[in-house]
Amino acid sequence: MDQPRTDEDQELVARTQAGDASAFDQLVVKYTPRLYGLIYNMTSNHEDTNDLLQDVFAKAYKAIRGFRGKSSFYTWLHSIGVNMTLNFLKKRGRRFQLSLDDVDASIQNDKEFLEATATSSPVREADLSELQRRLNEAMMKLSDEHRAVVTMFHIQGMPHAEISKILSVSEGTVRSRLFYANRQLQNYLDEFRKNPVA
Amino acid sequence: MDEFEDQEIAKLLRLKRYEQPPPGYFENFLHEFHRRQRDELLRQPVWRICLDRAHDFIFRLNLPTLTSYPVAAAAVLICAAVISLQIYQTPEPARFTRDRPALGGFSAAGSADAEWTLASPVATRVFGTQPLRKSNESAYTHRAATPPRYVLDSVPVSYETTFKF
Repeated sequence: MDQPRTDEDQELVARTQAGDASAFDQLVVKYTPRLYGLIYNMTSNHEDTNDLLQDVFAKAYKAIRGFRGKSSFYTWLHSIGVNMTLNFLKKRGRRFQLSLDDVDASIQNDKEFLEATATSSPVREADLSELQRRLNEAMMKLSDEHRAVVTMFHIQGMPHAEISKILSVSEGTVRSRLFYANRQLQNYLDEFRKNPVA
Repeated sequence: MDEFEDQEIAKLLRLKRYEQPPPGYFENFLHEFHRRQRDELLRQPVWRICLDRAHDFIFRLNLPTLTSYPVAAAAVLICAAVISLQIYQTPEPARFTRDRPALGGFSAAGSADAEWTLASPVATRVFGTQPLRKSNESAYTHRAATPPRYVLDSVPVSYETTFKF
């Protein structure tokens, strides 16, 4: 995923700090899909994601006057999003239900999806909803911190350095969490590989 | 875990990008955000709204630059107060010398003879820094030059230093 232009963000942030609420609206519109994906893939629940996303932007609006630009607005906003989601997940605990979004029909044109379904891969025989369910279940078996790293790296396509800034940990910690999470996902998906339509 | 398995996991996870909210969700999100903001504002107590408004006002005035003016003004006022206190509390040398004749003492070496009499109280006598007679003058010459009268010399004759060359 491409990084957004920071100079454009700086101007919108400055206008918001000067009291122009419409500038913040532009930031909301710009970052809603990206932040939605981050929170949704950490919670696996659409309703929780919606509520959290509203709270994230409300908190960002209240705090934006104190934003001094030491990091990019993108990093700052994602830090708020990740921290609020991690706090929410700690409170929620294990009592939750999957509330998954529909898979967009454009996946049928995705090169990777076509490759995965055309070759002798674990998803060849399985239908799409089953694949989605298995993937989300495997994700939810990870700890919250590991899921956050996997979401940002594999799904959102963020570089290690950006993730380390957002989580306020070293790049080494990010890599180590990613390695551990990949191993766990591999184990969880092994069963799916052996028996795709179980 | 080998590289191939890593790539396979990554490919599968990337497919999760296709999980999208219902159509129109992102378009309506901003309206929903505004509605929630208004609701939250209505639920807040009046004092909280006033506090937030004051907070916003201070931030719009750019507080860091404004604080420098009151600090500078306060510093100037404090300095002025300290200086004025020092001026009014220290005694003025000019006034002190003016008061001395009233006490009956000498105001200066030159005018001492005219004012210094036996009637003058001894306790009020103030010795000047200049001697009344120079060291090379003897007591005799001093007396010869001045008419005899009952005037106390500042230094008794017996205390005259003798000079031997």
